[in-house]
Amino acid sequence: MKDGRKNEPEVLRIRSEPATQDWNVQELLERVEGDRRLMRELLVMFRDENQRTMETVRVSMEERDLARASRAAHAMKGMLKNLAMGATAEIASSLEAAARNGLLSESEELFGKLEQALAQILPQVKAQLIEAQV
Amino acid sequence: MKVLVAEDDTLSRVLLERTLQRAGYEVTSVDNGERALKELQKEEAPRLVLLDWVMPEKDGVDVCRAVRDIKGHAYTYLILISSKERKEDIVQGLESGADDYLTKPIDGDELKARLRAGERILELEDRLVEAREDMRFRATHDLLTSLWNRGVIVELLSRDVTRARRENSCTAVMLCDLDHFKSVNDHHGHGGGDDVLREVSRRLHASVRSYDLVGRYGGEEFLVVLNKCEPASAITRAENLRNAIAARPIMAAGKPMTVTMSVGVALSTDFVSGDAGELIQQADMALYAAKGAGRNSVRMARPNTLQNADSDLKTGLRGDEASPVLSGRDTGCS
Repeated sequence: MKDGRKNEPEVLRIRSEPATQDWNVQELLERVEGDRRLMRELLVMFRDENQRTMETVRVSMEERDLARASRAAHAMKGMLKNLAMGATAEIASSLEAAARNGLLSESEELFGKLEQALAQILPQVKAQLIEAQV
Repeated sequence: MKVLVAEDDTLSRVLLERTLQRAGYEVTSVDNGERALKELQKEEAPRLVLLDWVMPEKDGVDVCRAVRDIKGHAYTYLILISSKERKEDIVQGLESGADDYLTKPIDGDELKARLRAGERILELEDRLVEAREDMRFRATHDLLTSLWNRGVIVELLSRDVTRARRENSCTAVMLCDLDHFKSVNDHHGHGGGDDVLREVSRRLHASVRSYDLVGRYGGEEFLVVLNKCEPASAITRAENLRNAIAARPIMAAGKPMTVTMSVGVALSTDFVSGDAGELIQQADMALYAAKGAGRNSVRMARPNTLQNADSDLKTGLRGDEASPVLSGRDTGCS
């Protein structure tokens, strides 16, 4: 594994507060330099892509292919960071590290947390998309 | 300015592309390290590169290392992008050949500032390369005519003769001298003389193949080296050179004037034990004969030159009585 490091403390850094409170739409808007069309494009990408990426993580864990699960979690982390979803990105980051270090049960637990966080954040994304359409 | 973006995550890639396009960059983007490397090996490849660290096929660090192994290309400024923020990660990234490092999520203003820093480095490199090339040119070329200078043309001839011997081919040496050049300077001043030298150089250069060599040997003397020259066609080739000068008037100080040139030819196959110096000497003696025969003509040195040179130059040349190779007539020179 390219970046594999055992027993990193970051595995244990799991946020407990709801991730949805952490979505900073203003930060995202600044990142796209006020280009709402681009923001919408990115959100559509995220809406379409996140399920596929989560499915990759889930299947990889089922097949005990934690390296692949880690790579998919890394991709999820990248998307979330770009969209200014900091707390959820932190969970994805922890999942990436846990999977990279071969910690299956921690990975499964973090996967559940990530699913929960996404379940809260996705309705907000959809609301933003509807708002942007108006 | 062209920028290459290598990023496997579509969302990150699109965000980067748009940010850079808005800032006026011409963006090429790829989704893995292998494709990035292919892009960077092309002619006119982007020299500013943003590389995601974690990518399939080849990661950003692999690409950095591979780019630094490519020889002969202009410098490429590489910026690694990653969510890795630990000191040892940054050190590893920079040690692999990256010039700079950005962490995700990328701040647009910081990105643009770092790219501008990269552009400054590339501009500096371009200026250094330009200065080095200029110095190299000045050291190897005649500055008036832009032809090879005497030292270089003799050295190149020497290498060519060695190669010709090895390959059993023939190198033709043609020493060309403008007729009555002093009168050009006397009548048109040195500016007019320079005009003539530049135009003669241009015509000589245009009259040979791309792999032949033309140098300024002295004031109004030029040395032309034709490699892989069929001995039987050497005289025709020399005639072409002579004719390239005599056929059309040359503008000197704004006035057209007729200029002619005499040519002495020596073939490496006729002097098998001789070096470049001897070939030039033989061509010089042939040139002397061409001048003696009325100028604006071509003469070829023959292998028995050395034996007879002391007693009579002409006997060492393909003499008038036996030679089919003399040509031209003295058209005079103002």
